Amino acid sequence: MSVLNRIFVRRFYVENTGFFLVLFYFLFGVVNGANLLYYHMGLMEGFLSNSGFLALVLGLWLLYNLKCIGFIIKTLQLPQYSFLYDTLTCLSDSDRKALWLRQHFRMYLPVIIYGGIAAVFGIYKHYYIPAAIILLFNVAMCIWPMWVYEKKLWQPDVFFLSTWFSRWLNKLFVKPPVLYFYYELFTAFPRKIFTTKLWSAAVLWLTFFLMGQSEFYDVRALQLGMIVCVLLHTQLMIHHRAFDEIYLPFMLNLPISTLRHYSRVPGIYALMLIPEAIILYFQSAGHFTLLPLLTSIITGISMLILFRVLLYYPRMNAEVHLRWILVISFVLLFMILGDVNWYAVGMMHVMSAMIFFRKFPEYEPWIEVE
Amino acid sequence: MADKVIAMQSVRKRYQEFPVLDIPALELSRGIYWLKGENGAGKTTTMKVLAGLLPFQGEILLNGAVNSRSQPVQYRRLINYAEAEPLYPAYLTGKDLLELYFRTKGGDRQPVLEMLAQMGVDNFVNNPVSSYSSGMLKKLSLLLAFVGNPSVILLDEPLITIDTKTVAQLYAFIRDSYATGVTFIITSHQPLDGAQLSVAGTLTIENKNLILN
Repeated sequence: MSVLNRIFVRRFYVENTGFFLVLFYFLFGVVNGANLLYYHMGLMEGFLSNSGFLALVLGLWLLYNLKCIGFIIKTLQLPQYSFLYDTLTCLSDSDRKALWLRQHFRMYLPVIIYGGIAAVFGIYKHYYIPAAIILLFNVAMCIWPMWVYEKKLWQPDVFFLSTWFSRWLNKLFVKPPVLYFYYELFTAFPRKIFTTKLWSAAVLWLTFFLMGQSEFYDVRALQLGMIVCVLLHTQLMIHHRAFDEIYLPFMLNLPISTLRHYSRVPGIYALMLIPEAIILYFQSAGHFTLLPLLTSIITGISMLILFRVLLYYPRMNAEVHLRWILVISFVLLFMILGDVNWYAVGMMHVMSAMIFFRKFPEYEPWIEVE
Repeated sequence: MADKVIAMQSVRKRYQEFPVLDIPALELSRGIYWLKGENGAGKTTTMKVLAGLLPFQGEILLNGAVNSRSQPVQYRRLINYAEAEPLYPAYLTGKDLLELYFRTKGGDRQPVLEMLAQMGVDNFVNNPVSSYSSGMLKKLSLLLAFVGNPSVILLDEPLITIDTKTVAQLYAFIRDSYATGVTFIITSHQPLDGAQLSVAGTLTIENKNLILN
């Protein structure tokens, strides 16, 4: 049933690329490559030898399992997949359960692999009981969702936990406008943000690798890496402008000052570079003090703000935007090499504010006429 | 001048090189106005210009004192707008939007929350708007137009999409707000029910000019 694999498993991994990026980053990105194996062996030994830690890990795996279950249930609720009710209910019980088991197993596979390695490692280290708990727990995590899927299939109107959970979360938190674009990115363009962040991380790792090879750790080299990271992020800005134009005009009727509208731009782009800031912090241990790291991050944020603000020139299409970005980056590079970085940062902020305060109140999408 | 709720002076609006509105002068006193016009006449553009959603040339004064250009924040506290076809980011909930409006527009929450319950939106308020029916989304957008202490509420085609019970409730909300001093400009292709609302005047767009009949 490859069609079910496409409906459930493939969509699950595609739609959750952002989630897996973050997970991947925290599991493999924060540690120096040479220490990665020892880091995970230490981590496994930690939760194998401590019952409290083990409970925490099992709890996280349970949450991931609920995420997988929630995805299948939500898919079943989508009108375009309503044909699944008519088709799956025609299968024999054993065939259908085997099918559910296969779909769920494939979605839960990342935990199975990690848990399996941890269990083997536990046996090797003579932690027999925790290893058995891990194995039994993960077998149970693969089997019990079948009951939920069966219930949903035969009672389509059943009220599902994730709906309740998301309603509870929505009741608890009000989304601040600074996060609106992130919700959009992670829901509408997960692959784009995933690939951008992956390339950005690769550029920073390469920067440190090259500095390590030459044993020459210089803040200007770091900033050159940061400029490339910023250039990778600029593709998201056209989406940002389109998002603002399509979905946020209602905010223009709200009594919000131009200054507050402006403050959202640095807010959004400061958040954008948090993963890069974390990578810089961990990769630079012993080579850079905090000041050069901050200098690099602030330079990156300032560039992102300026590049986004340029799009308030209505006729600035993607091609013209890219040209301006390259020209500005070129000038900035020379300013960095000339050790006048902070002047460059100051100038970028002044230019950003001037453009925004002049252009934002008059901004209107430009319609290209052939 | 002081009794004029809206005063428009040399208001011009172009979409690129195409002129859409050219209103030399128009003053409106407190009342409920029906803005009529054919499709494409410029009704929604007029509403969006008034609401501060579109840039324009000229000047609009509210209550004879608050200028759209020099006092943009105060201006937007006094004028609320409900779109004909509201569009919000899919993941925002009704609560997210209500909180944003309460925080920025201010005013008393209680009457709006009561309207919310009367219209039956309260059961959906913690769900993302992507899960709303078009009628439910329209109700939410209409409710948001009543948040704060506006002097003017602009309702763009408020009678479409919603059921007859909600239409009756909406008429009641408009009457109640009007009694407290709020002016309404309502666009509608259907005539407004004379038994429900007493219309102070009809506005039409003729040759890009907004005229009070």
